[in-house]
Amino acid sequence: MTRLLKFEAVNAYYGRAHVLHDVSLHVEAGERVALVGRNGVGKTTVVNTILNLASLRGGTMQFNGRAQQGLRTYTAARAGIAVVPQGRRIIANLTIEENLLLGGAVKRPGPWNLASIYELFPILRERAHTPGTALSGGQQQMLAIGRAMMANPSLLVLDEPSEGLAPVIVDQLAVIFNRLADAGTALLLIEQNLSLITRVARRLYVMAKGSIIEEGALEGLDIEQLHKHIVV
Amino acid sequence: MIAIQILNGLVYGSLLMIVASGLVLIYGLRRVVNFAHGSLFMLGAYIAYAASLQFGFGGGLLAAVAALAAVGFCLDRFGFRLLQDRDPLTVMLVTFGLLLVFEDVVQSIWGKQSYSLAAPEALQGTVDLFGSPFPVYRLAIVAVGALVAACLVGWLRYSRIGLFIRGASTDPVTTAMQGVNTDRLSGGVVAVGAALAGLAGVVSGPFLSLSPTMGSDILIDSFVVVVIGGLGSFAGAFVAAMILGQVQALGAVYLPDLAALLPFALMTAVLIWRPSGLSGSRV
Repeated sequence: MTRLLKFEAVNAYYGRAHVLHDVSLHVEAGERVALVGRNGVGKTTVVNTILNLASLRGGTMQFNGRAQQGLRTYTAARAGIAVVPQGRRIIANLTIEENLLLGGAVKRPGPWNLASIYELFPILRERAHTPGTALSGGQQQMLAIGRAMMANPSLLVLDEPSEGLAPVIVDQLAVIFNRLADAGTALLLIEQNLSLITRVARRLYVMAKGSIIEEGALEGLDIEQLHKHIVV
Repeated sequence: MIAIQILNGLVYGSLLMIVASGLVLIYGLRRVVNFAHGSLFMLGAYIAYAASLQFGFGGGLLAAVAALAAVGFCLDRFGFRLLQDRDPLTVMLVTFGLLLVFEDVVQSIWGKQSYSLAAPEALQGTVDLFGSPFPVYRLAIVAVGALVAACLVGWLRYSRIGLFIRGASTDPVTTAMQGVNTDRLSGGVVAVGAALAGLAGVVSGPFLSLSPTMGSDILIDSFVVVVIGGLGSFAGAFVAAMILGQVQALGAVYLPDLAALLPFALMTAVLIWRPSGLSGSRV
């Protein structure tokens, strides 16, 4: 199996603030992994380290088995790691279609293109030429997912995709994530929504205070125990 | 009479539009208010003058645009890119310093006297418009302005690179997340912005006279255009350049005492009415 992403004793900082302490984790091709933990424990910093928005100053990070040095924000996408960022970050002055085309900037080969994304999310086709921010929160999340899939990633990193969405939309997301994973894309799902985690993930990491405190298969896990790690 | 003044306004508006669109491009990608832009305009005119002595106006034009594109690329690579995490005020001061350096360099090569760049022969002479003679060259400036506007709009709206530029000028981080090398993109965009300033300098060469400080007036008017149009908006800058061109041309004739004040009065009025400029898309 190909190891798509690997953190080995990673220490990451924002300026002088030391946020990640010796974090080790990995995602293999086709895996469905969740990263859970309360607010402020450093889950988003894991994403930001992948994107070089937090600085990596100890340990190693590998994409596809290759250690990353001189990392830039655009490196991850080119290595097949697409991110659906927290808050979705839809670009306001671009139309929905243009936001999707921007996602295809890296031109990796694969099944995902405008036509197949529109098939997955028909609402995006209907409103293709309206500004991306004219959509509801759930639709914007679909646009952010569609944009990431346009790159035909081997790993999709989802940072709190259920945040601020109604339960019925979260149900739809679970179906979509499973469909993407069934089609071969590995998932790293950063979440606090237990029902979404249990429906999508097979393996999980639990974070607290900038470190991984537990890891293992989701099957047979004590849900009560997990709940304690997530809810404040 | 008034028709001729409106035409003159269109000529100046076209020049402003070319200069301001370079400022908008650079601001969009690097969030830099480029005070050196006026000196790039001046540098373009001087390089064209020097090259035109050997190769004529066309050769001068090509030399200036190519040289300024190179200057722009270096400005981004060795200036803006290294300063991108600094306080915007620091970067602004650096660009102001560059303005002084460029002016001094030009002054030490060509001295303080003013020169005149000869218009190409085919564009010399006048045509009768509305019963009075009007220089053909000024009409050519309007044509160049329209061509630049059309090319920029086409490039930004319909090309892949244009999509990346529009994305990066709103949200550079998200654009980079999609795999776009925004540093390389910025290098290219600042080169285009500088080349446009150079182009405007060349075409205004036969129209204004060349002096090391010739960029200052148009720089101030271009800032007014960019602010009125709404920082970072091309459509806004196009419209604002045309309005300001008219205000300058008509003001000089009908309100000569207040002419110097009018651009700022206009800017103040627009900002009271729409604090983020005509386009209002961004603050």
